[in-house]
Amino acid sequence: MAGAERKKGRDVNREITQELRKRAAALLASGDIAAFVGFRIGSHPMIMRPFVARSPEEAERLVWNSFCVINLANYLPGLLRSLEPPRRPGDPPPEGPLPKVGVVATGCWSRNMVVQIQENQIQRQRVVIIGIPSRGMIDRRKVELAAEGAEITGVQEGQHKLKVSTSRGEIELNRWDLVRDNCLTCQRPDPVIYDEMIGQPQWERKVSEPFRQVEEIEALDPDERWAWFTQEISSCIRCYACRNACPLCYCPTCFVDDSRPQWVGKSREPVDTALFHILRAYHCAGRCTDCGTCESVCPMGIKMRLLTRKLQKDVKELYGFEPGLSLEEPLPLSTYRPDDPEPYFDIRPVDESPKPVSGGGGAGEGDMGRQKG
Amino acid sequence: MGAERENSGTGGQWEPRIVAFLCNWCSYAGADLAGVSRLQYPPYIRIVRVPCSGRVSAQLILDAFRAGADGVWVSGCHPGDCHYISGNLYARRRFVLLRRFLEFVGIEPGRLHFSWISASEGEKFAQTAARVAEEVKALGPSRRLVKRFDPQGRVIPAEQVTG
Amino acid sequence: MNSQSSRYTKVDEGALRTWLSRLGGQTRVFAPKSGPKGIVDWAELDDGGLPDLDLGLPLNSIKVFYFPQPEILFTFNARPGQPDSFRLREPEEAGGEIVLAGVRPCDARSITLNSLPYAEDPYFQARTDRLYVIGFPCMEGCSTCFCSWVGGGPGSTDGMDVAVWQMPGGHFVIEAVTEKGGKLMEGLHGAGPVAEPSEEELLHIEQWRKKGLGQAGEDPSLSMRHKDLMACYQAPFWQQVADCCINCGTCTFLCPTCYCFDIQDEKARGIGRRIRYWDSCMFPLFTQHASGHNPRGEKIKRVRNRFMHKFKYFVDRFGPLSCVGCGRCIRQCPVNIDVREVLRDLLAL
Repeated sequence: MAGAERKKGRDVNREITQELRKRAAALLASGDIAAFVGFRIGSHPMIMRPFVARSPEEAERLVWNSFCVINLANYLPGLLRSLEPPRRPGDPPPEGPLPKVGVVATGCWSRNMVVQIQENQIQRQRVVIIGIPSRGMIDRRKVELAAEGAEITGVQEGQHKLKVSTSRGEIELNRWDLVRDNCLTCQRPDPVIYDEMIGQPQWERKVSEPFRQVEEIEALDPDERWAWFTQEISSCIRCYACRNACPLCYCPTCFVDDSRPQWVGKSREPVDTALFHILRAYHCAGRCTDCGTCESVCPMGIKMRLLTRKLQKDVKELYGFEPGLSLEEPLPLSTYRPDDPEPYFDIRPVDESPKPVSGGGGAGEGDMGRQKG
Repeated sequence: MGAERENSGTGGQWEPRIVAFLCNWCSYAGADLAGVSRLQYPPYIRIVRVPCSGRVSAQLILDAFRAGADGVWVSGCHPGDCHYISGNLYARRRFVLLRRFLEFVGIEPGRLHFSWISASEGEKFAQTAARVAEEVKALGPSRRLVKRFDPQGRVIPAEQVTG
Repeated sequence: MNSQSSRYTKVDEGALRTWLSRLGGQTRVFAPKSGPKGIVDWAELDDGGLPDLDLGLPLNSIKVFYFPQPEILFTFNARPGQPDSFRLREPEEAGGEIVLAGVRPCDARSITLNSLPYAEDPYFQARTDRLYVIGFPCMEGCSTCFCSWVGGGPGSTDGMDVAVWQMPGGHFVIEAVTEKGGKLMEGLHGAGPVAEPSEEELLHIEQWRKKGLGQAGEDPSLSMRHKDLMACYQAPFWQQVADCCINCGTCTFLCPTCYCFDIQDEKARGIGRRIRYWDSCMFPLFTQHASGHNPRGEKIKRVRNRFMHKFKYFVDRFGPLSCVGCGRCIRQCPVNIDVREVLRDLLAL
C-alpha cells in the first residue's frame, strides 16, 4: 500500500516533467519560441534552479516538482527584451514579429502575467504559456524545522508524504504540513491564462478563512502590532531578494535608490528597514497575487508576505478586486469609482455632531453631502 | 545635547508638529481664507502646498513621519471638483489603503488624516485643523518611524525618541 | 611565541564553561544560537553555556562584528552659525571588546583574507583589534562545505586567537594561536583544573590541522593566477549562470569575504553623520556613473564580475582566492547558483 502510494506520487511529478519536456522541446524545435523558462535540478535538494532552455536538447533538463517556488513571471520582461534586436534609445521599434518566449505557469504566476500584460511589461502574443495547476509548493524552511537542524541531503515526493533524507537518517513527513502558507490559502491554483495545460485542474479551492493570519494581527492593539512588525523585520539585511524576485518590482529606479530626495536610508537601521518594507508592500497593493516568492527567497525567513496579504484583503473588501483575473478590469490604484468608500475623511469639526459614514452620492455633485463648512 | 531646537510652545509644553499637504486649488485657498478671516487654528500646522492631493504619494507622507512629523494631514478638493478632474479620486483610494496599512503595522490611527476642503470652506479648515491637532496632541510625540541621531551619530531607538 | 607546551592547555568541559561565563561577565561574548524560526545566528552566549557545536554555521558571517552596517565614520553639527558647525567629529570608541566563541575555521580565515584589501582601513583595524576569535575547528563538514578546496581546511586556525580542539575523550585542548589569544587564556587558570596535553593529543591535533589539505590537487589560486583573464571573461558559460540570477544581495551580504561598501551622508534634526554600509556588486547602482552610463548595466556583467573578482582579480592582486568555502551562498541563493560549479568551470578553461 505504501509502496503503491509512493510510486503514484513519483509518477505525478514525473508525468508532468516528461510532458513539459516534450512540449517545450517541440516549441523550441518548431522555432515558435526562442527560449523557454522553467526549472532544472540544481545542487540543492530543495531549491530548484530557474533555467532558460534555448534548444530542444536543453529542454530535456526541465523539471517540475513541489520545490519550484520562484515566480517565473519575474524573468519574462528581461528575457523578452534581451531577445529583441539591439536598438538605441530613440530608435523606432523593430518591424515584424519579435521572438517569443515559452514559460510554465501555475495559478498565481499566470495571474502575475495578466498584471504584467495590463502594465505593458510583456505582450500576450510574445508569450507561450504552458499552464500547470499547482498542488501547493513546499516551504523548505518547514522541512528544515522538521529535520531539527540535521542537514537535508535528499527529498522524495509522494502524493501525500515526503521522504526526507537527512544526515541523521530518513524521516517521513506529511506533505500538507509543509506546504507554504500562501499555498494553504490559495483559492485559484489553476492558471488563468495559458496556451496549453499539463496536469489535472484543481478547480477553485474553498478556503474558509483566507485572511486568518492577517486578521490575527489586526486583532492586536497598535503597540502589539508595532512590536510584531519590528520584530519580524529585525533580521532584514536589505539584500532586496524579496524585491528582485517579485515580478511586480520592475521600476528602472527603485524608490530605495532615489537620492534626491532619499526616502529610505540604505543601511540596516530599524526605521529605514521598516520604511522599505512598508513602501515595498504598499507599491504592490492591488497587484500582488500572493505567490509567496518574496517569503521563499528571503535568506532570513522574514514573513513579509503578511504585509501584502493585508493590502490584498483591503483591496478585496474596499474595491471588490482580485488582481490577475481579468485583462479588462483595470488595476485598483490606476482607476477610481465615484462612489469609492472614504472612511477616514469624516474629520468632524469640533463643534458638530457626528454624521453617519456613507459611501456618498454620485460624481460631479460637488460636496459629498456630509459637512457644509 | 546637540543643538536641537526645543519643541515647546510658550508654556514649555510639548507641541506637536503637523505637516499638512494642501492642494493648491481648494484646500490651500481654504486655509488662506481662514487666515484672511482671522479664524483661529493651532499654530503648529506646517503647510506644504501641492498642486493636487493626487500628487501626494506614500513616500511623501512617510518621509514626513521619518523627519519627525507627529501628524500628517492631507487635504484636497471635494471629489468631483478636482482642478485636474480626477486627481483626488485616485488619491482617495491611495490614502484609504495607506491609512489602513499603517494602522496594521502599528502606527497610531490618529496620526494620519485626510479631508476634503474647498476654497470657500475657511471655517471648515479651521475646525478640521483644530480637530487634527487635538488628536495628534493626545497621542504625544511620534516615535515609531522617526529617524533621529544622538550626538555620536547613532540612531535613537523608537522608545527613546523625545519630542 | 612561547614554547609549544605552554601554548596548549588541557581542560575539561566544566572549566571551559566557567572560563567563557567569566568572559561574559567582563565583555560581550557571542556564539551561534538557534532562533525562533529555527535559523542559527549569532547571539549573546548564555551564562554558563557552551557554544552548541551541532548547530552548524550561523547564517551571518562574523563580518557583522568587524564590519558592521552601518558604521559611523564621523559626525557633525549640521546647524549653521554655531561654534562647532560642520566640524567633523571622530566617532566614539568603536564599542568595547567582543569575544566570539564557536567560530569555524572558514569564518576565522575571512579576517585574514579581508585584511588584505583592508590593510590600511583604520576602522577595520580598530575593530579587529578589539575582536577575540575563539575558534572551534570542525570535526565534520556538510555537503556544502568546501574550505579545503579554496585554501582553508577544517583544522585551520588561520584568523583565530584561540583554538578549542575537542578531544576524543570529551575534554578540550585550548591553543593560544596569537598573543592576544594567550592573554585571553590567562583566565583559564583558576577556571578549573588545567593540565598539559599528552604527546598523543598533540599528534591528534597536528593530524587534524593537515586534514583536507592537498585534497584539491593543484592549489586553485595558482591555477587561476595562470589563467588568461580575457579567456575567463569571455567564457561561454556565464550566460547560463546569469539567466537565473535575480541580482539580490544575498550572496554578497552573507559571504564572509565580500567586503564592498558605499559611503553616504545622512542628516536628521541638526545632527549629521557619514556612514558606510554594505553595498553589493549585484545591485545595478553599484557601478552607476553620474553621467548616467553604467558599465555593468546588464545582469550578466554583474554576475560575471562577482565571480571574476573572487577567483581572478583578487587572486591576481593579493594571491589567495577571495572565498573561504563556507557554503552560505550555496545554501541561501534563492535560485541555486552554485559557486563550486562556477569555480570548476573556470578551472576547466
